[in-house]
Amino acid sequence: MEAAAAPWWIWPLVLFAVTFGLGIVAVLAGVGGGVLFVPIVGGFFPFHLDFVRGAGLLLALSGALAAGPGLLRGGLASLRLAMPLALVGSITSIGGALLGLALPVATVQTALGVTILAIAALMWGAGKSEHPEVASPDALGTALRMHGVFHDPASGKDIEWKVHRTPAAFVAFGGIGVLAGMFGLGAGWANVPVFNLMMGVPLKLSVGTSGFLLSVVDTSAAWIYINRGAVLPMLVAPSIIGVMLGARIGVRLLRVAPAAMVRRLVIILLLVAGARALLKGLGVWN
Amino acid sequence: MQGPDERLVYARWLDWGTRIGLGVLAAAFFAYAFALVEPLVPLQELATVWSLPLERYLAITGAPTGWGWLASIRKGESLCLLGIALLALVTVMCYLRNGISALGSGERLQAGIALVQVVVLLVAASGVLTGGN
Repeated sequence: MEAAAAPWWIWPLVLFAVTFGLGIVAVLAGVGGGVLFVPIVGGFFPFHLDFVRGAGLLLALSGALAAGPGLLRGGLASLRLAMPLALVGSITSIGGALLGLALPVATVQTALGVTILAIAALMWGAGKSEHPEVASPDALGTALRMHGVFHDPASGKDIEWKVHRTPAAFVAFGGIGVLAGMFGLGAGWANVPVFNLMMGVPLKLSVGTSGFLLSVVDTSAAWIYINRGAVLPMLVAPSIIGVMLGARIGVRLLRVAPAAMVRRLVIILLLVAGARALLKGLGVWN
Repeated sequence: MQGPDERLVYARWLDWGTRIGLGVLAAAFFAYAFALVEPLVPLQELATVWSLPLERYLAITGAPTGWGWLASIRKGESLCLLGIALLALVTVMCYLRNGISALGSGERLQAGIALVQVVVLLVAASGVLTGGN
């Protein structure tokens, strides 16, 4: 459909329908909506990438804010673990947002394509550890009191946790913040492996704390897009409403949906959208 | 800072802040999309400018940057931005509440981290980094 020829209201409606579907798939696959939203909407909708990235950040932020109270009340997110790392991530996400808005769009589009393809590879190959072993916690993590007891509601067990490789994690979250700000991606796909595989945090606590951390990192980058005028309500509002309604359906389908198949579907979506972004950035497929 | 009470207080502030922000955004968008309020950029023209790079879009539409939208708060886009700004202020309020609470209970490290984070978020929100008004 020619963007200019279609009535204006078609696109918000299509956007609502697509983001509703993304909300369902994102919950079933355990990823944030932003990582799917930016490459798909940026690649296949008429909106400029500047506005899509702003919307992607706000989408990820809204999801994180909505999930936050439940995660905190359920003891599935640790403030003490998240706060120092979120501080670093939020500072670098501001830099990423400023950089993303300063670079030529073809450069950002190409880098986005490479990043999305790398995320697909990470999702395909990355392992996970339910309860990682941390033989000896490092000094920085100890000083920041990054330890505690996590109650796993599924098993009913209390799991003592502590962290190691904290300095490396600070560097990693600094890099993740840049990517989140530059591309408007929620960064749960990167946060969870860093918490779980690098720092040795139990998997469920990693997922929950990642959700909470996103609400901080995405807030600072979102303000850069808001202040630069890169937020189109006609793009943002239907997307947020669509994803949130879709996520509610996704939660209901969690028990019956084949998780492995949904995850493969998301990887395929990421591969297609990443390739589209890369080829668009390189001027091969406009 | 990490105790159950503080976590629950943070959760309560987060919950209410998010509900208010999303509620304002949804109501404002309804009024904007169904032309109950006047838009800044006529809706029929929107589809001709939303594919433009940001700088060109701003030059053609005269859309505000920074906090300039507050001056046109009766317009549909600005009402939506009010809801978006509320969502983007929720974390600031929660951190401020927690930082002050941690300071009161003598947890200086946690209070320091929380209050530095508030400063970072306020600097981002102020528009000084982006030249917004």
